[in-house]
Amino acid sequence: VTVEFADREEIIAYLLEHFERPKNRGPLEGAGVVHESGGNPGCGDVVTIHLDPAGEAVAAATFEGQGCTISMAAADILIDLVRGRPLDDVLAMTAESLVEELGREVVIARLKCATLALNALKAAVERRARNERRRALGLPLEEAPAAPPDMTGVEGGPDPFGKR
Amino acid sequence: MASYANPEVLVETQWVQDHIGSPGLKIVESDEDILLYEQGHIPGAVKTDWQTELQDPVRRDYRDRAAFEDLASSKGIANDDTLVFYGDKNNWWATYAFWTFKLFGHERCMIMNGGRQKWVAEKRPLTRDVAPAARTNYHVRDRDDFKIRAFRDQVLRHVYESRPLVDVRSPGEFSGELLHMPAYPQEGALRAGHIPGAVSIPWSQACREDGTFKSADELTTLYRSKGITPDRDVIAYCRIGERSSHTWFVLTYLLGYPLVRNYDGSWTEWGNLVGVPVENPTAEKKARGAAK
Repeated sequence: VTVEFADREEIIAYLLEHFERPKNRGPLEGAGVVHESGGNPGCGDVVTIHLDPAGEAVAAATFEGQGCTISMAAADILIDLVRGRPLDDVLAMTAESLVEELGREVVIARLKCATLALNALKAAVERRARNERRRALGLPLEEAPAAPPDMTGVEGGPDPFGKR
Repeated sequence: MASYANPEVLVETQWVQDHIGSPGLKIVESDEDILLYEQGHIPGAVKTDWQTELQDPVRRDYRDRAAFEDLASSKGIANDDTLVFYGDKNNWWATYAFWTFKLFGHERCMIMNGGRQKWVAEKRPLTRDVAPAARTNYHVRDRDDFKIRAFRDQVLRHVYESRPLVDVRSPGEFSGELLHMPAYPQEGALRAGHIPGAVSIPWSQACREDGTFKSADELTTLYRSKGITPDRDVIAYCRIGERSSHTWFVLTYLLGYPLVRNYDGSWTEWGNLVGVPVENPTAEKKARGAAK
C-alpha cells in the first residue's frame, strides 16, 4: 500500500483524497468488535476506531470522528495499511513509520493529529489482549475507557458553536 | 449604540471580495487545520502556518527578526502592505497571526469579520490556485516582547499585585476538571486549574454563531461585568496563547483597552511550573468532600 511521493503537492493531494472521500469511515458492529476513542484537546480532534480482531489479525476496521484534515485522512489511510495484517504488526507500527506513509513533509508538523488514530488502534489491540488473558483467568473484563470529552459547543473550547 | 474603538481593523467579507487584487493589500489565511487552505482559499490569499512558520522550531519562542523577514519576504509581503487575516474557528488562528505580526511591528493589520466560516457560508469564491509570490525585501526592527506579550514572571507579579487576568479557556479547563485526555498526557500540563485571581471569560463569548464579533455594547458588558475595565493592566492567557490572542484582539482593538498583553506561555507553562500558586476549584471541592 506504501505510496511514494514525488513532492509536497502530491502528499497534499493524497491526504485530501482520503479526507474528502474516505473509504473506511463508518460504524462496525459484530461480536468481538472492539472500540477505542482518542482525542486531541488542543484542536478538538476526536476519533473512534472500530476493530474486528478475528484470527489475531485486523479482519476489518473502520473509524468515526471529527477533526482536522490530517487526523481524518490519517485514520482512513491507517486502516488501509493495517487491513489483514496480524495484530502484532499493529503494535509494532511506529509513529515514525506512519508519518512516512502519510507524507513526512506535510504531517510532521501535526504529529499528534497524524498519530491519533494509530494510538487509538494500538490501545484497542492492547486492551483486547488484556481481556483475552482476563477471560482465560475468569476475571471481569476491562471496559473501554470513556470517549474524550466532546468539546463541540463548549464555550472556550476549540469548536464552541459546533461549526468546524 | 457604541461602535468599536478601532473599527478600521475589522473588515467585512464583502469588502474583502471587492478588494481582491488591490495593490498594497495582502490577504493572509491562518488556520488550525493546516490543509484547509489547499481545499480552497480566497483568491490571491497567501497561507501562514502558526506552528511551522511563526514559531521557532527549536526554542519555545517566536521566530527571530531575520527569520521573520525571510518569511514575510517569501510571501510577497511588503512593509507598507495592508494585511487582512482570516482563518478557521472564528478567526482564532487569524488573530494569533495578527498578534505575531504586531510583535514585529507590522503597522497595517486587519481581521476579516466572520473568518473563513462566514466566507464559505456566503458561498464566496474559493480557489485552489496558488499564484507564485513575488519576493519582497521585508525589513523589521527587533521583535518587541514588552508591549503586547507577557512572560511568567510578569504574570506572577500580576498575581501578587491582584491585577486582572483573563482565563479564556473553557470552563472545564478553568475549574481544573479538564486537564488532558487519557493516553495523551503530552497535550496538557502536570497541574490543572487556573492562575489565582483570574476571571473566566471563554474567548468564544466574544463571537456570534456566524463567527463574527459581537457588538461593542455586548463586548463592553461582557468584560466589564467581570471587572475587566480599560483603566487596568490586563493579561489574557489560555493553553498556548492562541485563544487568548483572540481576546487580546477584542480588548485592544474592538474595545480600545490600552494595556493588554497576551501570556503565550499560558497554561502549558504555568501548569508545569514548580512552586507557583494555582487555584483548582475541582480539587478543593473533592478535598472538602473527603473531609466530611
